[in-house]
Amino acid sequence: MGIAAERAAAAGRGASARRRKAAGDANLAGYLFISPWLIGFLLLTLWPIAQSFYLSFTEYSLLSDPAWTGTDNYAKIFAEDATFAKSLSVTFLFVLFSVPLKLFFSLLVAMALNRNMRGMNLYRTAVYFPSLIGGSIAVAALWRNMFGLDGYVNQVLAWFGIQGVGWISNPDTSLGTLILLNTWQFGSTMVIFLAGLKQIPQELYESAAVDGAGSVRKFVRITLPMLSPVMFFNLVLGVIGSFQTFTSAFIITKGGPVNSTYMYAMFLYEKAFKHYQMGYASALAWVLLVIVALLTVVNFAASRYWVFYESDGGKTR
Amino acid sequence: MGKRKSQGAVLTLLASVLLLAACGGNSESGGDGQSGTDTGKGTDSGGAKTLGMMWWGPDARHEATKKALEIYTQQHSNVKFKPEFMAWDAYWQKLPTLAASKSIPDVLQMDAAYIQEYVTRGQLEDLSDIDLNGIVDPNVVENSKIGGKLYGIPLSQNAQGIAFNKEELAQYGIPLPKQNWTYDEFFQWARDARAKLPEGKYPIGDSTTWDGFNFYQTSMGKSPVMADGGKTFNLDKDLFMKFYNTYEDFRKAKIVPPAEKAAAFLENDPKADPMASGVVMTRGATTGSVSALEQLMPGKVGVVNMPIGPSGGGWAQSTIFLSVSANSKNKDEAKKFVRWFVSDKDAGEALGLTRGIPINPDIYKALEPSMQPQDKLGKEIYDLSVEKALPFYSAAAGYSEWVDTYKKEMDAVTFGQQSIEDAYAKIDKMGKELAAKAGGK
Amino acid sequence: MTTAAGAKWSRHLFLTLFSLLMLYPVIWWVGASLKKTEELSLPTLWPSKPMWENYSNGWRFSGEYTFTHFFANTLLMELGNVVGGVLTAAIVAYGFGRLNFKLRGFWFSILLLTMMLPGQVTVVPQYILFNKLSLVDSYVPLVLPHFFGGGAFFIFLLVQFIRGIPRDLDEAAKIDGASVYGIFLRIVFPLIKPALITVAIFTFIWSWDDFFAQVLYLSSVDKFTVGLALRMFIDQFDIQWGQLLAMSLLSVMPSVVLFFLAQKHFVEGIATTGLKG
Repeated sequence: MGIAAERAAAAGRGASARRRKAAGDANLAGYLFISPWLIGFLLLTLWPIAQSFYLSFTEYSLLSDPAWTGTDNYAKIFAEDATFAKSLSVTFLFVLFSVPLKLFFSLLVAMALNRNMRGMNLYRTAVYFPSLIGGSIAVAALWRNMFGLDGYVNQVLAWFGIQGVGWISNPDTSLGTLILLNTWQFGSTMVIFLAGLKQIPQELYESAAVDGAGSVRKFVRITLPMLSPVMFFNLVLGVIGSFQTFTSAFIITKGGPVNSTYMYAMFLYEKAFKHYQMGYASALAWVLLVIVALLTVVNFAASRYWVFYESDGGKTR
Repeated sequence: MGKRKSQGAVLTLLASVLLLAACGGNSESGGDGQSGTDTGKGTDSGGAKTLGMMWWGPDARHEATKKALEIYTQQHSNVKFKPEFMAWDAYWQKLPTLAASKSIPDVLQMDAAYIQEYVTRGQLEDLSDIDLNGIVDPNVVENSKIGGKLYGIPLSQNAQGIAFNKEELAQYGIPLPKQNWTYDEFFQWARDARAKLPEGKYPIGDSTTWDGFNFYQTSMGKSPVMADGGKTFNLDKDLFMKFYNTYEDFRKAKIVPPAEKAAAFLENDPKADPMASGVVMTRGATTGSVSALEQLMPGKVGVVNMPIGPSGGGWAQSTIFLSVSANSKNKDEAKKFVRWFVSDKDAGEALGLTRGIPINPDIYKALEPSMQPQDKLGKEIYDLSVEKALPFYSAAAGYSEWVDTYKKEMDAVTFGQQSIEDAYAKIDKMGKELAAKAGGK
Repeated sequence: MTTAAGAKWSRHLFLTLFSLLMLYPVIWWVGASLKKTEELSLPTLWPSKPMWENYSNGWRFSGEYTFTHFFANTLLMELGNVVGGVLTAAIVAYGFGRLNFKLRGFWFSILLLTMMLPGQVTVVPQYILFNKLSLVDSYVPLVLPHFFGGGAFFIFLLVQFIRGIPRDLDEAAKIDGASVYGIFLRIVFPLIKPALITVAIFTFIWSWDDFFAQVLYLSSVDKFTVGLALRMFIDQFDIQWGQLLAMSLLSVMPSVVLFFLAQKHFVEGIATTGLKG
C-alpha cells in the first residue's frame, strides 16, 4: 500500500469521524429542538391515543368497564352500519366543496387586503369577525335568522319573486348552507395567507417590474410559487380539519334534517357520549384516521410537483 | 454570539418554559388544596367531611341550592360542600367522563331520561333504606323504583300535558281543549280547528318521537314499547300504522305543518318555538317546562292533559331525582343529606320552586302562596293529569341510539323519503335486536 | 390623477360593501342583544327601546362572581397559552423545518397523525390521566399542552414558514461562526414574526372557544372562564336570551381587539424586520 493511499485512508477516517461527530451534534440539536413536543407527546398524548386504539376493540359504555370484543366493532362498521356510510358520504361532500371554496375565497380576500391603505386595519378586522364568533351559541341563533324559512335570505329572494326554501330545515339544501357558513368563516385561512404574502420579499416584485412583468405574470411567477408552502399547509390542514367538522352541525342542525348534515365527527360524538358506545366510537375514529392519513399521504406526494421551498434552493422538495 | 452561548440561550429558554409550566401547575391547582378526586375522601380527623354535589339548572336554582347547602353546613358543622353546577347540555356531556374516571361527586341530580343508563351500569347507590315516611307519598316512591330498588330521591312533581294558545284559539272561534279528551276527540278537534284557522297556522304539531307513540300505544291498553328494563320490546304494528297514517293524512290536509317547517322548530327559542312563533296552536309541555313557554308568550298559554284512551294517558310523577354515587366514600353522610334535602323546612324555603313543585306536601303548602303565574300553569298540568295518568315510561338502558333512530326514520317519513311500513320495519328490527341483547345478559 | 383617485375610491367602496356583507349578521347580533325576549321573534333589526340592562345584568351575573372575574380568569389562562404556544412552537418547528436528525420523518408523521384522530375519543383517557394526577379543576390540563409545542397545527404552520426562508441566510451566518442555535435565535425567530403573531392570535381565539375542554376540567365557579359562564345562561328549557347575546358579544371583543392591534405586525412583514439579521 502506498503512502498516498494510507494518507487518504487516514484522512477518510478523520473525515468520517468528523462527519459522525457532526451528525451526532445535529441529532442532539434536532432532538433538543423538538423536545418540547416530544416530551408532551410521550407524557400527555401517547397514552390516550393508545387507549383509544385498545378501546376500539371493546364494548365500552363509559359507565362500566370495557369488555373485549375483538374486531366486532370494525366488522359492524363495514358490514351493517348504514349510518356510517351515510355520514361518511355527507362528510366527503362537505370536504369536497368546502376546502376548495374556502381556499379560493380566502386567497382572493387576502390579496385584496394585502395593501397599505388607510382603513385597511378596519376592513381586515371586519372580514375576520365572522371567524371570531366561531362556535358561539349566538351563531346558531344568527344562522337560523339568516337562513330560516322566513329569514333574511328568503326576504331578499322574495324581492326578485323567488320563493325560498327552509335552507337549514330542508334535507336538500342543509348541507350546502353549512358549507356556506364554513366558507363565511374563512378568516383563519385568510390570515395564514396574509402572513405568507407578507413574507414574500418585495425585491422580487420590484425586479419583475423592471423586467416589465404585468400583474398576472407577477402573480403566476412570484406570488403562487412563493406562497405554495402556505397554500399546501392550508390544503392539508383544511382536509384534516374538514373531516372533523363538528361544531356547525352540532349547534345549528343537530345533524338533521334526516341525517343530511350528519357529519362524521358528530356521528362519532353521539356514539360516544349520547349512546354510550365509546368502544364503537373509537373504532370509528380509527377508521377516519386511516382515511385522512391516506389522503394526506396523497397530498404530500402530490406536493412535490407544485410546492416550492425557498430553503431547498429553488428546487421543489 | 458563539455556538456555546446560543446553545445555552436555547437551553435556558427551554428550561424556563418548562419551569413556567410547572409553576403554573402549582399555583393554579393549589387553589383550595382540594381537587376533584379528593372530594369523596374528606379528612377523617374530627369527622369533618366534604361532600361533592353536582346539579344542572338555571341560575335561580344554583343560587337557591348554594343557600341550602350553607344551611346544612350551619346545622352540621362537620360537613362542607364542593358544589358543581352547569347547564343541562354540559351536565350530560360531562357526566359520562366522570363516570369513566370513577369520579362522580357524592351527590348528584338525576333525570328520569338518563337514570336507567346509570343504574344498569352500577353507577348509583341503592337508597331504598332511606326512611321517606311522611316526606314522600309511598306511591310516588314505589313509582320511582327501578327493579324494586330506589336509586334516586324524587324531588318534585312533574307531568306531561299539552299547552295551547288560548288567545288565538278564542280569536278564531275554536273551542278550547277539555280535560280528559280522548285521542279520537283530539284528532277531530284538530280537523275542526283547521277549517277555522288561516293559512300558515296549524292546530297541532307533527309527531315523530318514540314517546309520542308510546303514549298512544299505552293509552290503548297495550304494554309499553319497552318493558322489563329493555328485555321486552313491543311495537304494536296495527296501532303504529293507524297512528302514523292519521298524521300522514294530517300533513296532506295541512293540519300539521309541512316537514320542512317542522324541522326548523326549536322549542323555547323565541323565534323558532312552534307555539311562541304563532305557527302552531298547541304543543307538548311538562310541569317543568311550561314556565319557559309562558315567559315567551305571557298570558296566552293554557294547558290540558294528554289525550287519553281506555287505559288513561300521559304521566304524572317525579322525573328529577337526587342520587348518591356508588363510588362515594361518604355514602352514609350523603344519604343523610339527601333525606334532609327533601324534608328540612329551612331547606325547602331556601330552595323554593327552583326544582318544580316540591314532592314533600308540607314544604309545598308553605310555598303555595308565593307561586307565580308560570308556576301555577305547571301545577295545573299536574292536577289535570294525575287522575288518568299512566306510569312514566323512560327509554331503557342501551336504547338511547334507538330513540334517535326512531326520530330519524319518522322524520324521513315526513319528508316523503320512505313509507311508514319501511320505517316500522327498521325501528322494529333494531328494537328487537336490543331486547335480545338485553335479555342475553 | 383623477383615475387613480377614482380607483382608490372605488376600492374603498367595494371593501366597505364587502365588510358590511360580512358584518351583517353581527349587526343583527348587536340589535338582538338589546332586545327583550318577546321582541326577539320580530323581524326587526333594532329594538323599540334598547335594553341596556341585558349588558349590566348579564355582567353582574349571579352576585357571587361578576364577568370581571371570568374575564380575568380567561385572560390569565390565555396568557399562559399564548406564551407557551408561541415559544415552544417556534422551537419545535425549527427542529423539524431546518435540522436533519435521525427519525425526523418518522416523528413528523406522528406529529401529523395526532391531528387526524378525532379528539372525542382521546378526551376520556386524557381526563382519567389528569384526574389520576389530581390536576382536574385547575387550569393545568388546559394550559400545559400549549407548553409542549402548542399543538401540531402550529408546529406544521411554522415549519412551512421556516422552509420558506432561504438557506443563504444560514450559510452567511455560519460563515460568521453562528451555530444552529445562533441561527435560530438571530435569523429564523425574527424572520417568522408574522407567522408567530398568527400563532398567538389563533391560540388566543381557539382556546377562548374551547368549551368542551373547559367544561370538563373546570368545575368550581371561581375558576370559570367566560365561555363557561356564558353557558350558564342556557338551561334545558330556559334561555336568558338578552343576557346571553349581550355577554357573548362582549366575549368576542378581546379577540377582536387583539386581532386589530396585532395585524400591523403582518403588515410589517419581512420587508422591515428581515434580512438585516
